[in-house]
Amino acid sequence: MQQRSDDRLVAYLDGELDVAQRREVEAWLDADPAACRQMAALAEAAHLLRLAFDEAIHEPVPDRLIAAARGEAAPPQSGAQILPFRRRLGAQIVAPRRWRMGLPVAASLLGLLVGSGITYLGVGKLALDGVAGKQAALEATATNNLWLDNAAAYFKLVVSAGDSPPVDIPATGDPREALQKISQSLPQEVRLPDLKPWGLSFRGARLVVEEGRPAAALVYTTDNKAIGPLGLLIGSSKQPDISPTFDRRHDVNLLYWRHQGRAYALVGQADIGYLWGIANDVAWQLDAV
Amino acid sequence: MSVRFSDQLIAVLPRLRRFARGLSGSVADADDLVQAACERALARQHQFQEGTRFDSWMFRIVQTIWIDQVRARDVRKEDGDIAEDRLGSDEPARRVEARLALNEVRRALDHLPPDQRAALLLVTVEGLSYKEAAEALQVPVGTIMSRLSRARIALQLQLETGRGGHRSTKDAAAQ
Repeated sequence: MQQRSDDRLVAYLDGELDVAQRREVEAWLDADPAACRQMAALAEAAHLLRLAFDEAIHEPVPDRLIAAARGEAAPPQSGAQILPFRRRLGAQIVAPRRWRMGLPVAASLLGLLVGSGITYLGVGKLALDGVAGKQAALEATATNNLWLDNAAAYFKLVVSAGDSPPVDIPATGDPREALQKISQSLPQEVRLPDLKPWGLSFRGARLVVEEGRPAAALVYTTDNKAIGPLGLLIGSSKQPDISPTFDRRHDVNLLYWRHQGRAYALVGQADIGYLWGIANDVAWQLDAV
Repeated sequence: MSVRFSDQLIAVLPRLRRFARGLSGSVADADDLVQAACERALARQHQFQEGTRFDSWMFRIVQTIWIDQVRARDVRKEDGDIAEDRLGSDEPARRVEARLALNEVRRALDHLPPDQRAALLLVTVEGLSYKEAAEALQVPVGTIMSRLSRARIALQLQLETGRGGHRSTKDAAAQ
């Protein structure tokens, strides 16, 4: 009998009873203080259980899981993935499949690295310093591909979350506080660009990984579906400066650039025109150009 | 692999991690579990039926892999072996007490039998209905109800008795 009573209380708590059953339980609770206390205790335990695992929802998803969800090999630890190329010095360098998928970006990046417009297919003829130079360029390409892929994936998480974007630090009260908190986990302080002229409101910040180092992902939303939502990633970089470069990954548009040891990426569904305009605004505000 | 399938998988990753963390009792083990589930899902994506809940399908995969691991390894966490990778080392002191209370909840969960733990997490934490949880775990709704009832009473007893009350919890869970 007691077990049946507990079953009924639990089902009431879970919203699994119909109207008549709910009234029956409510009448029982009104008449039985012990049952009422039991119900309160069960509700409290359920509340604590939800709280106990709430943090898992707000943590950054590890790169290896995002890679697994895409059916890719686990991403490298700080560029370790490209080590096999070092062991193949002098041999023909064959780009892994995921690199070949990013040929247009590779072409763009390598062109920028050597200050010319030569294409990826011309790697073997680059005016770089032999094989070591090629390796450095390929490392840069691999690193670039990885964090751009991740930036697109994080943006998709934001979109899928709807009105409750998954941020570590929500922008409640003074948004600068959110930035100060997230900056504590970063090598450099992050400043918050004001994008209100674009109708974009800052919703919070999230800690992500960019070029193997912690970075800040700032989340902005707007009612203008032509622009938002929008992510702005700011992290540190050891790669050379590059001008704003447009790319598209997994149906997400990206505009990224590097300036004086920092890497920036605007991520969203907005078209390139909007992204260029917003990127100029961000660069001007952050002295990032 | 279809892009849409991969997108769905990425979108549900945070919830899979939470569910797996509740099952396994460890952050690292949970992520290993989710990674294995992703790989299995991609290999069997043709088995997913359009129009059904993708998250429930993934929860089932996570739970199935975990049950296989439990059976294979016969792993049951001992007291004090659970919270190390969950506790922050440099948190403000004012948050430590609250975190310890939540660790008590996690510890109580770790003492539940695997089937009760999965049912409790799916319904109470993930918000699935009894019917959805029953489909995810491939058991009758009545089984979900009885597992939930036993799990909830056990959890409540554990929290009431506090640390050292594990015997009561196990007794309740075994009812």
